[in-house]
Amino acid sequence: MVAFIRLAAVGLVVLTVIYVMVSLYSRSVRREKLEGWAEERIAEGRLEEGDRDAFIEEGMRDYEHSLRKKLILGVYVVPVIVVIILVYVTNFM
Amino acid sequence: MVYVKWTFLTLLALLVFSFFHYTLPQHDIVRIADTYEKRIDPGGNALFWAEPPVGAARTANRDVFFIQAIRPNGRPIVYRNEDTGWGWPPYFKLDTSNLQAEATDLKSTKGNPQWVSVTHYGWRSEFLSIYPNAVGVRPVEGPDVRLFPWVNIIILSLIGLALLFLWRVWAQFRERTIDPLLEDVEETWDEVDERADAARDRARGLWRRLTDWLGRK
Repeated sequence: MVAFIRLAAVGLVVLTVIYVMVSLYSRSVRREKLEGWAEERIAEGRLEEGDRDAFIEEGMRDYEHSLRKKLILGVYVVPVIVVIILVYVTNFM
Repeated sequence: MVYVKWTFLTLLALLVFSFFHYTLPQHDIVRIADTYEKRIDPGGNALFWAEPPVGAARTANRDVFFIQAIRPNGRPIVYRNEDTGWGWPPYFKLDTSNLQAEATDLKSTKGNPQWVSVTHYGWRSEFLSIYPNAVGVRPVEGPDVRLFPWVNIIILSLIGLALLFLWRVWAQFRERTIDPLLEDVEETWDEVDERADAARDRARGLWRRLTDWLGRK
């Protein structure tokens, strides 16, 4: 039981570090893309220079509700499934 | 300095290689000669023995299952059969007793050999009294069967992908967070520098006025 609790605790810490890292990365990539799109739109005359920040902020607000952001929670789900599969394969197959 | 660098890198590579060679699963084609149980008191080699089985108390010594086997070339190999439980390495092996039963069931004689594939991790070292830990056992056709290491290829590919991703994350972090910060620092430093220059000029002016004033007297 102690070993299992230790695995769960260490796993939770490690996965949380990975989760934070991946979400920061994903957000950063999204913002970079939005900056690129804003640049393009301004060049094509479809966006005013003054609306650039608003365009990026709106894109980021959309991102906060996107499926992509929710998929990052898979960081917690996938390892648990992998462990369950491993336990089955090692012991009961 | 070059030697130090290369020695360090070689040692690091050796360490990484040994780690994976010890931890990743390998298949041996062997004939099981016998299975037994022996009391073990792990000492200096405790690192190469597993933790007590799941649910058992931590005692100074305990009984460990062993599987004695003969390779196709006639040389012996002995495996230990221990739970890894919820610890390292992450095989999540809990079925030690069942495995021992299976291994015993596959026992065969030299005259009428039943060849089996023993999946295991770890090393056999006579000097350290350590044994590879058997994880699974299944019968195979004959002594010449070759098993393709799919599991190892998948695990190593996943680790490679994870490292690649980590590198991407670091590059992104540097580009978007550290570099702009450094630019900010540089700008601030330039400003400080300019202000210092201006202050020096002003101080010089003051000094000149003072000396002029003194000179007039």
